[in-house]
Amino acid sequence: MSEYVRDAFIVLFSLTGLFFFVGGTVGLLRCPDLYARLHPSTKCDTLGACSVILALCLQAGASFVTLKLLAIAFFLLLSCATCGHAIGRSAFRSGVVPWHKPGVKPWPIEEDE
Amino acid sequence: MRKAAVLGALLIIGAMLLFAIGKMPAMNSRNAPDKTHVIPRYLEKGEEEGGAKNIVTGVILNYRGYDTMGEVTVIFSALCAVVALLDREKRGLSRSSPDASGVRSSVIVRTVVRFAFPVIVFFAVAYMMLHGEGSPGGGFQGGAILGASVIVFTLAFGLPESTRRMPLKVRIPLESTAIVGFLAMGIIGLAYGVNFLTYLLPGVHGAMAQTVRNLMMTVIEVGIGIGGGVIFISIVFAMMREDKYELQPDVPQP
Repeated sequence: MSEYVRDAFIVLFSLTGLFFFVGGTVGLLRCPDLYARLHPSTKCDTLGACSVILALCLQAGASFVTLKLLAIAFFLLLSCATCGHAIGRSAFRSGVVPWHKPGVKPWPIEEDE
Repeated sequence: MRKAAVLGALLIIGAMLLFAIGKMPAMNSRNAPDKTHVIPRYLEKGEEEGGAKNIVTGVILNYRGYDTMGEVTVIFSALCAVVALLDREKRGLSRSSPDASGVRSSVIVRTVVRFAFPVIVFFAVAYMMLHGEGSPGGGFQGGAILGASVIVFTLAFGLPESTRRMPLKVRIPLESTAIVGFLAMGIIGLAYGVNFLTYLLPGVHGAMAQTVRNLMMTVIEVGIGIGGGVIFISIVFAMMREDKYELQPDVPQP
């Protein structure tokens, strides 16, 4: 019985990961500018990859492999979030204007800076 | 006349090459010599002859030791070329301040890098270099990770801080570790009267021979790792300096 429950959770987490990877890829291809693309592509690495790793952890059971996988997930979360932040910040500071409808100000940008 | 001679020579060489290609075994054929001789030999005797559980390490350091030594030399030559072309630090010509942007990286990036940097270095040295003979990994991979860790540090904290912690005095001796390690281990073999880069020394028997062989291969792996990593670091430092130099030239144009 518990085998089936475990398998069900493995499938569930794998499908969650698949969903976020597909969504992230579609967003990366379809979104209009850097900031909008950054949003789905970081989801890909954090939620998508971590769900898949969680599924792999369940598959591996309580072993040393699980510990390694959890370490991978931890550093993945850390580095991807930081990367997204650094890319977005440096783009903003080097003056990349966010996508907006013609004639609509995206947000109060100091024009003089 | 000369053109005709060149053309004739080219035709003869081309005909010879085409003839040789025609005699080669078909692509991926089961009867090709690499499938019938080389791969079975590596798989069956690789651990015994190569001296490493990880067959890749055995092949790299033992069967193809000369080739790997050449690769290490190529990396070192790349460093020499980059330094000759770009780096003004070593020639005492660096007149510009090395930090190009003047913008500090955000506190998030600095905190994460401060936390992750020692972990990356530990992974590169302990997991890749020292353990390369038993599990996937090895000197080149460890060196790449080691170099990348310092590059990340440089991106987060700026070139002045990074060069202060890895000054030229430290980098210059470390850059040649790979070649020096290889040559030293090879010369130990020569001193014992066997071939260059032979790790099984005569006069050492049994379990001791295995230990000595593992030790020598580990020395080479760590040498490749540290040498390669520091070479990457030096190349990146040189290029970052040059970037600033290009942005704000302080040399009067003729």
